[in-house]
Amino acid sequence: MKRVAEIAMYTAFAAFVGLLSVWPPYTNLDDDRAIISLVFSHAGKRVSECRQLTQEELNELPPNMRTMNDCPRERHPVRVELRSGTEILYEATLLPSGIWADGKASIYRRIEVPSGTHKLFVGMNDSGGADFDYEKSLTMDLAPRRNLLVQFDGQTSEFLIR
Amino acid sequence: MIAKVHRLGRTLFGALRVPMARAFASAENPLNHIGALTVFFLWIVLVSGIWLLLFFRTSVSGAFESVEYLTREQWYLGGIMRSLHRYASDAAIVTIFLHMVKEFVFNRYRGPRWYSWVTGVPLVWIVFILGITGYWLVWDELAQYVAINSAELIDRIPIFTDSMAGNFLSDELLSDRFFTLMAFLHLIGLPIFIVFGIWMHIFRLTGPRINPPRRMMAGTLLAMLILSAVYPAASHEQANLAMAPEVLRLDWFYLHVYPLIRIWSPGWVWVLLVGVSSIIVIMPWAPRQKKEPPALVTLDYCNGCERCVDDCPFGAVEMVARTDGTNYSHQASVDPDLCVSCGICVGACPTATPFRSQGALLPGIDLPDRSAAKLRDDIIAAGAEKSSPHVIVFGCRDDAQLKAIEKAGHRVVQVNCMGQLPPSYIDFALSRGHADGVMLLGCQDGDCSYRFGAEWTEQRIARQRDPMLRGRVDVSRVALGWQAPWADNANAVQKFDAFVESLKP
Ligand code: HEM
Ligand code: SF4
Ligand code: SF4
Repeated sequence: MKRVAEIAMYTAFAAFVGLLSVWPPYTNLDDDRAIISLVFSHAGKRVSECRQLTQEELNELPPNMRTMNDCPRERHPVRVELRSGTEILYEATLLPSGIWADGKASIYRRIEVPSGTHKLFVGMNDSGGADFDYEKSLTMDLAPRRNLLVQFDGQTSEFLIR
Repeated sequence: MIAKVHRLGRTLFGALRVPMARAFASAENPLNHIGALTVFFLWIVLVSGIWLLLFFRTSVSGAFESVEYLTREQWYLGGIMRSLHRYASDAAIVTIFLHMVKEFVFNRYRGPRWYSWVTGVPLVWIVFILGITGYWLVWDELAQYVAINSAELIDRIPIFTDSMAGNFLSDELLSDRFFTLMAFLHLIGLPIFIVFGIWMHIFRLTGPRINPPRRMMAGTLLAMLILSAVYPAASHEQANLAMAPEVLRLDWFYLHVYPLIRIWSPGWVWVLLVGVSSIIVIMPWAPRQKKEPPALVTLDYCNGCERCVDDCPFGAVEMVARTDGTNYSHQASVDPDLCVSCGICVGACPTATPFRSQGALLPGIDLPDRSAAKLRDDIIAAGAEKSSPHVIVFGCRDDAQLKAIEKAGHRVVQVNCMGQLPPSYIDFALSRGHADGVMLLGCQDGDCSYRFGAEWTEQRIARQRDPMLRGRVDVSRVALGWQAPWADNANAVQKFDAFVESLKP
């Protein structure tokens, strides 16, 4: 009798382990949805341009700190907007990183959208103005479960959508 | 308040014990070996992992294919090894959870025992990270899900500026570099941490039980093997970063918090994980438990025999060079920070003998709060009321049976742990006419509150361990009544009555 109970115990344990190892299934994404992943790191323009110091100003500085240029390090925040048609999917003002606000601003956002055709627009401003400094529009047919990547290529200063 | 939670927990745990007790002899009850079972599962994981490693390729494209090869072509060996690797890892989570709950509800985590408790927490973290990186390596759709969501979690740690998630969004961005990092963590880095972590975890315990009984090892291994054969672990589709996985068979043991990343946010998941871990870490001190005075050595009576060192389950006594100029080379010394005041050392000390007539009864080592002298007085007092046959019940304070016996109107003598009672006291009670029989009640067999109290007591009475019960004692007058697994306290009174009956001429 004990032997049977022992086998039953081991069976129950193994069944429990086997079961929760795969069940219940988890729906990561419904089959009529797609994803737009917005991801990039970009350094905004500097808040003020470098400026040549005047001779008087130079004289006031200690000798070891006398450089001709004064370059404030602070950068503009990066404003980004992603739209499908007229609907704003994402909109944010990304602050520069670093304690001197001189680093890159980074974003990663996973945005769920219905699958189907989207008239996408993405725009970015990195100079503190009102208009977008960079933008791209594209009409895309997003298949169900498609993971569309929206990036910004720092080298060509262009948005990449793929 | 916390005592109430403990009691409730013990009741629930007791419910689990009933069917277990049907199936296993008490010394073989898996619930008494959960820590050791966890170690055993980790052994299975290690051995099966080495097999997988032989065939695994650490590149983005090679990883999935090599695991597929093991699962399909080499199903009879590689497939079984893969499944064992996975299911033993899952089983370890179950036993770690039970182990933790058990130490908690039986209050074995406070006082000097905080150490094992607190070092358990990083162990859990490492086990989880190990499991998660393991899923990553398969590079199927589940791996893709784990990768991107883990990256989102990691992105919330404010020390990285570039988004890590960016690496797992397209096949072009994905690099073998990450794979190599993951493989390194999973195959070498974390396993070393686990071994080191387990060593730290049991470092302070004397004679830690790291291996379950043979039969149990065979049983669990067989169960895992059958599960692996009947339901082999399988991969999802190969990862494709341009598509998001739809329905996943999550391993809930390891990945239960992942859906919360979506439902809440990575930040709140961190709050949950760090919050729960912190609460567990401070539990030994919140609320504070009054520390009982530790065992005290009286040099005049210590002859340096080392028995207390051998028997202390918590490594709290050590032998040091003699300081009082006597001829003995060593003396016992108690580290008050490690001593849990169980009194097992008193039960081991040859100088704790109630027969001594001259002077006060002062053994080499004693508990200030429940001294050897008081124990003798209690026996004399309990022996004074005569019934025939007269039985004195000794019981440890953690044993609920004791209360049942007391309620039934019988005199009991309480000790901190049954191991505190030196065998000479049993001799004393019987040979000096204080009792016709003695009954010893204690915690469940194989699950002593102070680890070895019950075991040492049995061995001392069976004359297998020093100090032994003297040969002149008739052992039929000594009854052991370890608590039944289902804590059936009425049972204690029946045991008592039956014992009294057996003593009648
Ligand atoms: C990988 C995970 C773990 C393993 C392999 C493990 C293993 C063990 C082993 C072998 C023992 C010695 C048992 C004995 O001989 O009495 C032990 C004791 C202990 N464990 Fe763990 N453990 C793990 C995780 C944890 C966790 C997460 C906690 C709680 C947060 C915990 C709390 C304790 C405590 C408090 C003791 C000491 C009990 C005592 O003082 O009697 N352990 N563990
Ligand atoms: S009372 Fe217990 S923990 Fe303390 S020294 Fe004695 S045996 Fe060790
Ligand atoms: S058992 Fe007693 S006599 Fe022996 S070393 Fe310990 S304290 Fe001293």
